[in-house]
Amino acid sequence: MSQPLNPMRGFIEIEVRDREGRVIQRGRHEMKSFTNNFLKILEGFFNSYGNYPSEYVAKPASKATVVAPDGTSKDAWTEAYYDYHRCGGVAMATRAGAGVDSYGIVVGSGTTPFNLNNYALATKIAHGTGAGQLNYDVMSLDDLGLDTSVSPPVYRVRLMRGFKNLTSSTITITEVSVIARAYWKYTGGVVNDVLFLIARDVLPTSYTVPAGGSASVAVVIEVAMG
Amino acid sequence: MIRAEVVVELDGREVYRGESKSFVQNFSKILFAILNGTGGVDLAYEGPVSSAVVQKPDGATTTVYGEYYTKYTPSAITSGGTAMGFKAGAGEDAWGILVGSGSDPVSPTQYNLSAKIPHGTDPGKLYYDVHTVTSSYSDTSSYVEIARSFINKSSQPVTVREVGLFARNRYQRADAIEVDVIFMVARDVLPNPVTVNPLGSLLIRYRVILTT
Repeated sequence: MSQPLNPMRGFIEIEVRDREGRVIQRGRHEMKSFTNNFLKILEGFFNSYGNYPSEYVAKPASKATVVAPDGTSKDAWTEAYYDYHRCGGVAMATRAGAGVDSYGIVVGSGTTPFNLNNYALATKIAHGTGAGQLNYDVMSLDDLGLDTSVSPPVYRVRLMRGFKNLTSSTITITEVSVIARAYWKYTGGVVNDVLFLIARDVLPTSYTVPAGGSASVAVVIEVAMG
Repeated sequence: MIRAEVVVELDGREVYRGESKSFVQNFSKILFAILNGTGGVDLAYEGPVSSAVVQKPDGATTTVYGEYYTKYTPSAITSGGTAMGFKAGAGEDAWGILVGSGSDPVSPTQYNLSAKIPHGTDPGKLYYDVHTVTSSYSDTSSYVEIARSFINKSSQPVTVREVGLFARNRYQRADAIEVDVIFMVARDVLPNPVTVNPLGSLLIRYRVILTT
């Protein structure tokens, strides 16, 4: 059985509709741009014990130093323990709610070329109804499962988000990113809350969302198996 | 582009380096559970936020958590955990990098090695050492690697034909282990068996590589 060189890859699928709901533009592009932040979280998991290490009371047992969207280095936890408290969290969440433009799928209008150290969109399109803004819908994620009809089989996971243009002008999307959130809390408060970009693609084609129109952006992560 | 490599060193000499072709579906499931987390939950919230069903090494299915919060624990016993830990200590042969003597072809639905070589010093066993993690980052090419050594402390050769990577999803509180699940995320069959002679050592490295 032939094997691809990359066991994990992603695709961006975009569909733009006009104010009447008619599809006016559609495309699918292979992603080229998982970032070092993504790999650093994997490193954090590789360094996670999976068992309570007694020497690590009241601090993270494992963490990854990522670069936040403001360019500062921050620790994103991947394993943590606390005494006398409830404790828990997540290392790389993307399921942001409606109106939240700080994580999940976030789109932009920049064209700065990609490199692995990217930590932010070149020019983020903010959530809102003002000029140059898009209304961010809630994130949805789907486990699409194992597809054995292709060789090699692939397992797909899809992240999706809708964007509405509630302004009176067209808005053009030229870059797509996935921003994740590490979030850990104990009874006394939140102890780790860090955002970090894990993928960014400058699209080979720009997508123009007309006034009153909408765009649906999906990121499909595909892992080749067997 | 993301790809993975398996590197095998015998007595300090590299004897195999090849693409890892064998993530199994458990890997995608836990990745989904982690990405499907929300973050930002209320301070008082207890329990799961995102989950996935994986297969344990015995074949049974069970639920693991990408985002999870333990219950309140009014004692000094520590609460917390991780969605996916790999760094098992010396002598632990249940998670982290494991080796085996089986050669069944890989498939996406596998959940265990064909024939695990257990930790020990008796014939047919290998001594499982600690894990080490290394990494390198740049604008154009980066990698992270987890490695483990195995020493043959018996009087008989031990032949390795397969390599597996096992994760542990575990959350604990004072009076209970709320979740504790070990599950295989990758398995590779080596193209040629590698024989570890008495007092010989084997080093397995899983390297994940990111390039532009």
